[in-house]
Amino acid sequence: MQAIAERYSNQSALVKELQYDNEEGLSNDFVNGRSQFSHLAPHIALPPISTPQEFLRAHTDDSQNPDCKIKIAHGTTTLAFRFQGGIVVAVDSRATAGSWIASQTVKKVIEINPFLLGTLAGGAADCQYWETWLGAQCRLHELKEKERISVAAASKILSNLTYQYKGAGLSMGTMICGYTKKEGPTIYYVDSDGSRLKGDLFCVGSGQTFAYGVLDSNYRWDLTVEEALYLGKRSILAAAHRDAYSGGSVNLYHVTESGWVFHGNFDVDTLFWEIKAKEGSFNNVVG
Amino acid sequence: MDIILGIRVKDSVILASSKAVTRGISVLKADDDKTRVLSDHTLMSFTGEPGDSVQFAEYIQANIQLYSIRENCELSPHAASSFIRQELAKSIRSRKPFQVNVLVGGYDTRKESPHLYQIDYLGTKVDLPYAAHGYAGFYTFSLLDHHYRPDMNTSEALKLLKMCIEELERRMPMDFKGVLVKVVDKDGVREIEDF
Amino acid sequence: MASTVASEYSNEVKNVPIEHQFNPYSDNGGTILGIAGEDFAVIAGDTRNTTDYSINSRYQPKVFDCGDNILFSANGFSADGDALVKRFQNSLKWYHFDHNDKKLSLKSAARNIQHLLYGKRFFPYYVHTIIAGLDEEGKGAVFSFDPVGSYERSQCIAGGAGASIIMPFLDNQVDFKNQYVPGSHGTERRKAQYLTVDEVIKLVRDAFTSATERHIHVGDGLEILIATKDGVRTEYFPLKRD
Repeated sequence: MQAIAERYSNQSALVKELQYDNEEGLSNDFVNGRSQFSHLAPHIALPPISTPQEFLRAHTDDSQNPDCKIKIAHGTTTLAFRFQGGIVVAVDSRATAGSWIASQTVKKVIEINPFLLGTLAGGAADCQYWETWLGAQCRLHELKEKERISVAAASKILSNLTYQYKGAGLSMGTMICGYTKKEGPTIYYVDSDGSRLKGDLFCVGSGQTFAYGVLDSNYRWDLTVEEALYLGKRSILAAAHRDAYSGGSVNLYHVTESGWVFHGNFDVDTLFWEIKAKEGSFNNVVG
Repeated sequence: MDIILGIRVKDSVILASSKAVTRGISVLKADDDKTRVLSDHTLMSFTGEPGDSVQFAEYIQANIQLYSIRENCELSPHAASSFIRQELAKSIRSRKPFQVNVLVGGYDTRKESPHLYQIDYLGTKVDLPYAAHGYAGFYTFSLLDHHYRPDMNTSEALKLLKMCIEELERRMPMDFKGVLVKVVDKDGVREIEDF
Repeated sequence: MASTVASEYSNEVKNVPIEHQFNPYSDNGGTILGIAGEDFAVIAGDTRNTTDYSINSRYQPKVFDCGDNILFSANGFSADGDALVKRFQNSLKWYHFDHNDKKLSLKSAARNIQHLLYGKRFFPYYVHTIIAGLDEEGKGAVFSFDPVGSYERSQCIAGGAGASIIMPFLDNQVDFKNQYVPGSHGTERRKAQYLTVDEVIKLVRDAFTSATERHIHVGDGLEILIATKDGVRTEYFPLKRD
């Protein structure tokens, strides 16, 4: 009878799930640091066949199989660079599924927390899902250690995750950008084959080469904040102009020691004519 | 394709590794360090599948450091190389093998001798005076066969390494952004600045 | 291991091995569309259900009122769509049990659906999902999802077979894309403004009659569910049945 009553008691399912209804469970998370939170990770279903990877590729991979049924939304040009005044992050906002433009208003910068940004290129769902998951992991780190997580540690949580799933078919190329006291402004590139690289400047996505072209040739460490923001915006514009999979609008962010600041959304069409007139550039286009 | 070279001489081992990280048609990084220090006198350089290579190297590094903390004793280069070979041999028989090739350079402080081992992802281990993985060997082995002497000192070996790198820069079709050079001798591991 | 395929009715014996491929998907056509207004939101869907060139049903509703003022539709492979709707309704029921009948906000419903979809990342639901309702401030809201759970809030979105016909029309008529103020010589864009329920219903009907004209998987009937602060209302309009 007691057992049945307990089943229907008003205790939150979450408390049960985390085993916080007993002392041992509580101390595991908050004293021993042996986490029970893994219970919260979802169960991911696999098709009932011997080669799930081939199954996924046959049904979803649009580059190898253009008339496959499931088109997964893919993200496109993103960049981030370190300079004297912190980090500039700039991205486009187009999502494509094959040649169909699924959206022109995608948020490709994921605000993990007030000090950490993640960028999104590759599978939109993969990046969105795992970077919000990363946000939760970072918050748990703060609660356990009473200290903000380093960019190195945050990026390693994500790269260890992508490495676990290596070969399963995830597709992501991301930059984890943040500013901490001990590290200063820091960028890590993390991708779905498990790579994790620290660096000063990265461009990721199908428009990366066009963005690199403008960014590399105008980049200096002692750029002013204003110059750096313009360079980020200009590099994404260059990619949006040349790469069919990039476009929509530009989203700009600046990361400083007091967290990230959003610096606006710029429609590519408006921006193009404005910059063409101001710079006298883009002379391949008449009008 | 990454460049990984190693030369063993009278009282030291030199490991050189290319600094470029390439993904698709872009060079994403030009100052990469493809080596991990395993213990005070042992260094490992590595190439292979992205993701696998760093994960494997750091797994080996952690386990060798754990061993020396537990046993309060540094693993000899030979022992370290045997451990690495065993791990790769286990891996190749697993469902998802590590696709990583490594060079292990170390100075045995008890026998007072340098050692260089070449180990591939299949678990093939050989003890060699000079070694390489990937295409680097095709251009440099002839030079090394010609000029290498076992009783060379470190600075002579660095000169020979320089010849090899110059040949690679001349003939390799892609830019590998130069090499990071590290020397292991009785004093431990040190980097050669502006090689 | 070469097994052979032989037919009793032919003397032809094929000497090729039988290939088995696991193909659990099909496409049941149909189109859905969601639009958010200032204090209301709608999801509309046609009621035709097809496989290949056959019509299975002329009235098979695929837009649902899930309770808590949440409209839900998953278009594409209808078995997956049905499974997803059922799973979401079940999840909503348990949310009410666990949290003393608390109302599930649309924002939370969206996050929940992301987890339902991503939970099958390696064996996806073949559906394009749209939900609609009112946000925490009482403003109309629409969220759309890709098959594996990437999602975004928007003013208007179309999904399914006729999306590529309807979406450009909606961009122009709801968000006023590529419309400029007369006399400004294409320098001043027409400002976006909220549409009334009646205007939205007119647009939706135009969108679906047009899609019906040009797409074989769209037609038969149009069902529009409208969510306002007073609850959910349904309207039905016939479409061409050929």
